[in-house]
Amino acid sequence: MAQNLLNALTLGSLYLLFALGMSLAWGTIGILNFAHGSIFMFAAFTGHLLVGQVALPLPLVLLIGTAVGAALSVLAQVLAFEPIQRRARDHRRAELQILVGGIGIATIPLAIAQHATKSVPFGFTGSTFQVEVYRLGPVQLTNVQLVILGAAAVLTGVLAWWLRSARTGLALRSIGVDAEVATMMGVNRRGLAVATMAVAGALAGIAGVLLTYYLGSIAAESGDGFLIKAFAAIVLGGIGSIGGAVAGAMILALAETVVLTQTSGMWVDAVSFGLIFAVLVLRPRGLFGRKEVRRT
Amino acid sequence: MRTGNRVRCALVVGTAAVLATACATSSGTGGSGGEGLPGTVKIMSIKEMTGPVAFAGTHSTRGIDLAVEQINQRKFLGDTKLEIDLHDSAASVQEAASFATQAVSDQSYSAILGPAASSQAAAVSPIADKAKIPVIYTQAGSDGVLVGDYTYRVTAPASSYFHHAGEYLKSKGAKTAAVLYNSGNPTLAELGQETVPQLAKKYGFTVSSSDGVQLTAQDFTNAGAKIARAKPDAVFVLLQGPQNPAAITQLKQNGYSGEIVGMTSMGAGNLKPAGQQAKGTVWPSDFSPHAEVPSVQEFVKAYQAKYNGELPNNYAAEAYDAAWFLARGIKEAGSADRTAIQQGLATVAKQGFEGAEGKLRFEGNDLRVEGVLAGWDGSGEILVSREAS
Repeated sequence: MAQNLLNALTLGSLYLLFALGMSLAWGTIGILNFAHGSIFMFAAFTGHLLVGQVALPLPLVLLIGTAVGAALSVLAQVLAFEPIQRRARDHRRAELQILVGGIGIATIPLAIAQHATKSVPFGFTGSTFQVEVYRLGPVQLTNVQLVILGAAAVLTGVLAWWLRSARTGLALRSIGVDAEVATMMGVNRRGLAVATMAVAGALAGIAGVLLTYYLGSIAAESGDGFLIKAFAAIVLGGIGSIGGAVAGAMILALAETVVLTQTSGMWVDAVSFGLIFAVLVLRPRGLFGRKEVRRT
Repeated sequence: MRTGNRVRCALVVGTAAVLATACATSSGTGGSGGEGLPGTVKIMSIKEMTGPVAFAGTHSTRGIDLAVEQINQRKFLGDTKLEIDLHDSAASVQEAASFATQAVSDQSYSAILGPAASSQAAAVSPIADKAKIPVIYTQAGSDGVLVGDYTYRVTAPASSYFHHAGEYLKSKGAKTAAVLYNSGNPTLAELGQETVPQLAKKYGFTVSSSDGVQLTAQDFTNAGAKIARAKPDAVFVLLQGPQNPAAITQLKQNGYSGEIVGMTSMGAGNLKPAGQQAKGTVWPSDFSPHAEVPSVQEFVKAYQAKYNGELPNNYAAEAYDAAWFLARGIKEAGSADRTAIQQGLATVAKQGFEGAEGKLRFEGNDLRVEGVLAGWDGSGEILVSREAS
């Protein structure tokens, strides 16, 4: 039981790291980035390429993943999403075009990784980091799990503090409430949008690298599955809400773990997504979604 | 007038005869290669060169390219050249079906070398069979692929050589085994739900647990922990290529130390990311480059010579045999006509032949091979000897 709970927490933390960035960008600057999964994968793939050349420790691979994720996300923002937002006739049309644009952008890193790997899985076998297993009574825990749990807790805490207390965080939230008024109040919308996308991409990069260490390997297509899970977690928790993302990710991971350990694994998605559907029927804004915040 | 009518009549009959001849020999292009074969026999190859199963498509194409080079250089079809027109299906059912339709309507194509994914093959087969154009698949192990006389498969079903796994576990004294299988893949689901329980009966072990996972499952922590806690003597890991290293890593990290048995999806470098964690994993396979069979070694040497010393995998070997099967069928037919080639293939299938996968024989339109037990030594694939097993 305790072991299953720990495994669910680890999986939930990975979903959370992935979903946080998506939720942040969607809930504040109105960008639902469907290239997030590709960015997540490509950050890990870049780490794999470098680790193949030089034996690197985990912190350095994490740093590389963070930088690559941030860079790709900013590129998507500057080259695609920003022009779409500028040219779109209205907000609703812009959101739809961004969604479709994101799907298009996602195919580029995916195609590169598929071409380079021939869709054979890749990992960090050349890394100096070694997985250690600790046994605490009936529970066993790896050092990778510790890093994942720690990273999810710290980064979620920092992000929540930033949005609630920091001046730039408050400015970002004000864009989510009313972008026009925020601009009139002197908020630098463009600069904050780029910074938000950088943070979102960095979180995707961290999640990609940690997932690869946790599973031992991922494939070029791994981002697609995570994208759907993260999307579900965000909708379940409430768009734009940090607490909602935490709740959504953990409920989804817990539901998957219960189904997997108590029944056959083939029912995982059916039961998990059925549960989400049931919650949304009763509470359409998600568990933590608030009426007063637009797009959240 | 009567003379004029006769001339006109002769012209009409002559033209009709020419058209009929043209229609009868419309498959294949170029000048005559002798004995009814044209100068070139054109084949459409529909392979997954990009997308999630690109590893199968690219290696298959290498096998085909080698076979075609040998067929043409050795003048196996006399002066007739085999020409492959490669189309990338990008793992899309619609693309594969569209290319098959193109091959059917374009009479210059004499046959098709089909895609590896069952979903694509199942879409191509009815089109090809109805239009009476021979199609030869590798992989594509599910039902609905071999639908008639014109559809052939040159990859033996895994269940036909899975007895190697049973013999191996018996030699290791295994009494219990867990099964972890991909329930979304028909071939893997059949192995997990039917073949392994049959093996258990035959080789004296019991299946202690059987868990299906979804087609795209990535995290095997819970499944690994559940199996490790039960401590079976062996575990059958019957998953898709990229899932294998993750599942094995999770099993090992959860403290599992028994035997791990997989299937051919563990080949083609898929266990590389698991490295030493996967050491000792074995899987029945239709091909091993280390098998000491003359026809296998002949293929391996030729492949290494063409591809800078790279060892071939099962996808390349199967496709190589498929191309040679087709060439033998064309030679037997002595024609580039689609129906004649189908009849030629049927004759070759009855006789069987020696190929990259060893001695090949057919049951109907489906291949059977002896098979081997392959394994992973921590850094590369090996052949697990009968003594070791």
